[in-house]
Amino acid sequence: MSAPAPSSGAVAVWLGSAPPVRTIRWLDGALKTASRFGVATAVAAGEQTWLDLAADRAARLGLASAGVATDLQLDYLGWAQVMAAVARQLAATTILVDEASRPERFAEVAAIAELTDAAQLTHVVALAPEGATIHAGRVAGATLQTLRVRGPAVIGVRIAGPPIDDYPTPTPSAAMRRFDLAALGLDPMVLGHRALPPRAGQSPRRTVDRIADHLAVHIAPRQSSESPERVHSAKSATSAKGA
Amino acid sequence: MAAVLVHIDLDGDLPHASSLQALAAGRAVASSWGATLYAAVVVHDASERSPSGAPPPGAPVQVPGDARTIEAIRAALARGGADKIVVALTEAPIEPLWCALGAAWQAVLDRLRPRLVVFGADAPSADELGPRTAARIGARLFLRARTLDHDEVELRDRDGSYVRANDSGAAVALIGAAPRLDAHGDDDIDVMVLTPPGGADPGIELAGTAPAELVHIIGTIIALGDEAASDPEIARATRELASALGAHVVGSASAASAGVVGPGAVVERGAPLAPELCVAIGAPAIDVAGSASLVRIGSAGGKGVDGALSGPIAASLVELTRVLEAR
Repeated sequence: MSAPAPSSGAVAVWLGSAPPVRTIRWLDGALKTASRFGVATAVAAGEQTWLDLAADRAARLGLASAGVATDLQLDYLGWAQVMAAVARQLAATTILVDEASRPERFAEVAAIAELTDAAQLTHVVALAPEGATIHAGRVAGATLQTLRVRGPAVIGVRIAGPPIDDYPTPTPSAAMRRFDLAALGLDPMVLGHRALPPRAGQSPRRTVDRIADHLAVHIAPRQSSESPERVHSAKSATSAKGA
Repeated sequence: MAAVLVHIDLDGDLPHASSLQALAAGRAVASSWGATLYAAVVVHDASERSPSGAPPPGAPVQVPGDARTIEAIRAALARGGADKIVVALTEAPIEPLWCALGAAWQAVLDRLRPRLVVFGADAPSADELGPRTAARIGARLFLRARTLDHDEVELRDRDGSYVRANDSGAAVALIGAAPRLDAHGDDDIDVMVLTPPGGADPGIELAGTAPAELVHIIGTIIALGDEAASDPEIARATRELASALGAHVVGSASAASAGVVGPGAVVERGAPLAPELCVAIGAPAIDVAGSASLVRIGSAGGKGVDGALSGPIAASLVELTRVLEAR
């Protein structure tokens, strides 16, 4: 692999709108991956303490950072609008997304790609830039796909950093480039249409029934027991009517 | 009449089981809402086509492939409750990627302008197509949703967000659970064939495939602690829960020596995992903090845990599996 080189545009890594649920290991991994491009900007949105953490972790890897302070609680498409607007400000054409730190973030990969008219790639577990090409390993079920990406792309990465049990409390970063929604061309009232209703914090389920209810949407779907031969006998021919 | 659209992935010569689950959910919703249920499949077409995507003049529009296979798929979708079937042809090889399927799938969306689009949450294409579809049509997105039958059928996700018949706007749902419906049997189901122009996005090129390492698996895993693995009763109950969930059981080399963890499922101490769901049994020496959802058995829980059963492990597993299998 040759020395790291950025593709034609700038590189940004979207860290999301809230801190990781349990560990910053995957956040560090996304930042480390972005650092392979040479120059990249870490972007976060949300409350100030989260922006401070994001800027601190980025600075430790020598990356620039940008933040959008807001108390809005948005859905996948609302946050994607924020990140797409920041990407335009940064002229970023390669956008990495830390999709492992919070479960809701993987949907933002596609939404940012849609809003920036870029190609998308989710579930990337290995990534290496080489000139204008990015080599990516993507997990699809039990298969690892090897892909080559050229041109503008939004890439969801799930690449871990080193184990970390504890980390110093971050202080506000003077180096973080700060955007407000108006400067990004976003109207908070309009963006509010993508707001999520406030939810009470969910305490852990403690009974078998409640946990089973939680797991029910993960039960392995059962393939039909009917054989193809038996299915075939249901009708002999197909006639496509044409559009 | 409103359209409910179900994306169908194929698993060999038949619809994928998770897609059929989505079809069942779509059937329940469409019947309740008075909507038409469309099942749509994207199929590779290697035949010569004009730049507009249309076949050469005079050539019939046909679904390419073996007639018996096509009929088997058509019959399975009819039996699963589809009112109509849409086949979108694409020059691109079929891969579970937006860059391969997006152009053809867009043609389906343009034609039907659906009110609700559903995918099987475990279907191969769902993660790439589902959120992009939602973003493209400005829809609300529901991950791991299921049907709930009140006065009318609604879809609800784990956060309690829901989509109902009288909601405004479109919605996209990845279905994790659906009711078991009686087989439908309309043999005269319509098949509509679309031949949109364009193939794969040249910006992304698939260079090859290989089996994924278990540490990269995104589905469901059960992480087994060393001490728990040494208890035959727990080992047996773990296998049964894994079967119910379609999960991989992983653990340390020590857990593997007890027999419940396969040789290929040994995970090094501290190795990071980020599955969609992890059930941690006992105290596994694996970093499961990257799990999207984490349930602990035989532990009081901890930061960000979605559920925990702190009682005897084997009894908890047996009861949990029994309740899941009864659903």
